[in-house]
Amino acid sequence: MNSTPALLNRILLAVLGLILLAAGVLLVLLATVPAVGPWWHDWSGGLWSGASQAFNSTRFPGRSESWLWIVIALALLVLIGLMVAWVAQQGKGRSNLLAAEYDPGDIPGDVRIGGGVAEQALKHALEGRPDLAGAAVTTYEVKGSPALKVRLMPRQGVAPHLLAAEVSGLLDALESVVGKETPVLIHIGAGARTRFGRAERVR
Amino acid sequence: MSSSVENRPQDTRHRKGQGPDMRRILYRETHSSRAAVATAAAILVMVLAAYGVLEAGVHAVGQPAWLIEPQVAAQRIVDLPAGMPSLLLAAIGAVLAMLGLIFLLNGILPGRRARHRLLGAEGEGLPAVVVDDEVIASSLARRARLAANVTPEQVMVVVSQRTVLVNVRPTSGVPVNQDVVLAAVREELDHMMLDPDPEVQVNVTSSGVIGA
Repeated sequence: MNSTPALLNRILLAVLGLILLAAGVLLVLLATVPAVGPWWHDWSGGLWSGASQAFNSTRFPGRSESWLWIVIALALLVLIGLMVAWVAQQGKGRSNLLAAEYDPGDIPGDVRIGGGVAEQALKHALEGRPDLAGAAVTTYEVKGSPALKVRLMPRQGVAPHLLAAEVSGLLDALESVVGKETPVLIHIGAGARTRFGRAERVR
Repeated sequence: MSSSVENRPQDTRHRKGQGPDMRRILYRETHSSRAAVATAAAILVMVLAAYGVLEAGVHAVGQPAWLIEPQVAAQRIVDLPAGMPSLLLAAIGAVLAMLGLIFLLNGILPGRRARHRLLGAEGEGLPAVVVDDEVIASSLARRARLAANVTPEQVMVVVSQRTVLVNVRPTSGVPVNQDVVLAAVREELDHMMLDPDPEVQVNVTSSGVIGA
């Protein structure tokens, strides 16, 4: 539930995949189908002569190099910068703020409740439950507003809907303590500890 | 079964003031993230672009090229089938196409995770709940085991997006009623109210287990 740009990832991956796929298929065809050779010579030759024309007409006055190379280098640098920005967008979104509200009382300032409050409170409430092998609570920031993710790892055989209902009661209590409604996601998952741990027999 | 789907509360995520972002969060939880592949792709492009910057920069200031002169490289690419063993060319092409296919499929395929949403009983006010299929399977296995009166090793449950497959190996000499198991699993599933709601199939094997 972090703010990884899902749609952007998919679009960029698809575009890059198409380019690589086309290049690969072209190479395979060049190597295996002889008829593709002349067509490729024609097409790429035309393209290349046009490009060299451009290079020749953009020389520095009095020198043999073209300033087009500097333009290419700058464009590639921009591309690198964009890629860095893209990578930096992945997996962002963890935050440490559960609620922030302006306090209209006599004392100036506003009230901020950290995510640790929810994490500690729920951890304590879930501790010692026989049907849970583990639990984790994290605070996220979804489009500027805080959200809570509760990850539960029940032992084998625990009915997920009953567990969810009980935890949702805890969350309601937490909500009334904090005094603000926070979107909550409960993820009931399985891990190595639940897979190899003992099954919960009595409930 | 379809009627129970229609009767479900459609606006669960708007309840309790949970804004429309809940939809986004749920999508993120039920579909796998492309972050790792995207990072790999970005690094690939970055490495290629860095090499391009190096060669272009070196060329712009009139220094000899580092690996290959760009013009020479372009000329070689233009008359490609010549000047290179066709086997090597085909191999490079195949690798590139494979890489491209991986990226493309990662971009296009839905990438649904083995998880279900739990809609919760009406009026119970559950927050958004996402459950791994494995947890559902172990819960259903327990229910089926109790209904069939067999040991945990004799029941195997496979949960996929739209089907639940329950395999029961009865104890030799003790018949297992398929309908009872089916009804028990169906009842448990109805309590869970999964989204998407799966079909249940119960298989009772003809050969039993001795001494269980």
